[in-house]
Amino acid sequence: MIKHLTIITRQLLTYQYVLRQLVSQQIVLRYRRTILGYLWTLVNPLMMMSIMAVVFSTLFKADLVSFAIFLFAGMIPWNFFNSMVAQSSTSFIQNEGLIKKIYIPKIVFPFSTAVALIIDSMLSFVALFIIILAIGGPLSWAVLFLPISFLLLFIFSLGVGLTVSILTVFFRDLQYVVGIALQGLFFLTPVLYKPESLGGRVAWIIQINPIVPFIDLFRTPLYLGHLPSVQTISSACLFAFFSLGIGLLIFIKQEKSIVFRL
Amino acid sequence: MSSISTNNLSIKFRVYHDRSPSLKEFAANIFKHEKIPAYTDFFAIKNVTLSIQAGDRIGIIGHNGAGKSTFLKSICKIYETFEGDILVTGRIAPLLEIGAGFHPEFTGRENIHLNGAILGYTKEQLKTIESEIIAFAELDEFIDTAVKYYSTGMYMRLAFSLATAVDPDILVLDEIFAGGDASFIGKAKNRMSQMIDRANILIMVSHDHHLIAALCNRVIWLDHGKVIADGSPKEILERYLNGQVIS
Repeated sequence: MIKHLTIITRQLLTYQYVLRQLVSQQIVLRYRRTILGYLWTLVNPLMMMSIMAVVFSTLFKADLVSFAIFLFAGMIPWNFFNSMVAQSSTSFIQNEGLIKKIYIPKIVFPFSTAVALIIDSMLSFVALFIIILAIGGPLSWAVLFLPISFLLLFIFSLGVGLTVSILTVFFRDLQYVVGIALQGLFFLTPVLYKPESLGGRVAWIIQINPIVPFIDLFRTPLYLGHLPSVQTISSACLFAFFSLGIGLLIFIKQEKSIVFRL
Repeated sequence: MSSISTNNLSIKFRVYHDRSPSLKEFAANIFKHEKIPAYTDFFAIKNVTLSIQAGDRIGIIGHNGAGKSTFLKSICKIYETFEGDILVTGRIAPLLEIGAGFHPEFTGRENIHLNGAILGYTKEQLKTIESEIIAFAELDEFIDTAVKYYSTGMYMRLAFSLATAVDPDILVLDEIFAGGDASFIGKAKNRMSQMIDRANILIMVSHDHHLIAALCNRVIWLDHGKVIADGSPKEILERYLNGQVIS
């Protein structure tokens, strides 16, 4: 395992220029020939979240401003996780042409997706944070914890992404399953509502849902204005490293077979 | 010094049969215990042991499907080995399918950097050779245009110029290619033969026997993934051509 990890680290270092090119390809390319260009990265989630804030604050009979802050804070980690898993599911399949014609360490593909998405996510966070402050959200020192939140979220999502990216090569049906699963998971994760609201017979789902601590890592500093509890941080760490461990294990085991199954 | 050695190299492929059974067949199959396999395995390369030294100019010959291209791809690490191993020292230039990594939405210049990075050029190297590549490809005017608007000739010229911009230790060729108009083909052939001369090792696959006889000093005959013969071009080519006529 240690040997494989050093190999992967070395591959990422040797191919960092390829990585940089792929990341900028993902970030820049989407908005070629649009007038707003990269601004779409900020406008897009902002629009979606504003609509959701208006609709659901009315539906839940909640105060719009505080609900908007509540929602924004939960959507940042959810959106990153969601895009990471969705895009990973096609990361090898889409690059089939390259993988079959030239040697590139395979880790470069899911990793570049993760890096491009975390950059997107951090930039839209900055935009949202300004809005949160403008509409009267709390500003506290707890915000300084957010880099750690991003790091843990990155590790966790990368692990899930690696797993999904490999598995879809072997089971193509999974591409479609992933879409449905993410949609379902969104409603089972307290992004739109408070974790306490999902009571009764399904309350246990919140207890075992691994995304919940990651939502908390963002929501507590941004919405409540204080640091996440030790329990939240430790379970997030646990899930993050467990997920990355599994992801790497599957990746290392199957890396060489990918090219034969594309 | 560059060298390539393979030891008992085998590469197994799995071919999927993309045929879903009809409902009737499906129903019929429920009661049968033997299932129709969804895939079959076959060896594209089987137990190949070779040692290639600096100075070798190798031509690989064989029928279609003999495993020639698979062998080249395994040297370039595209197909990783399950059995046996392969040891390569020296920088490889895989001229298998040039322009493979081009992104249609990117401009020529951006593709030089993206594809160049994939080919293993460093950032500094790319900065110094960028203008030379553009000049050789005769694309000064269009270098900042997205590649999807290029004509086939322009695309080939850029891909060729990029792939051949830096001399490799080991040159791997799958048929000699040259696209573009007459004057470019002349230029490209020139550069190609310079590269072949300067390369430490040349490995090429070609169906053109005259070309192999002219460029190579060692010929390997592959058939069904196995080495049938390995030796001087004259002898092997003769045996190969005679054998082809008889069978």
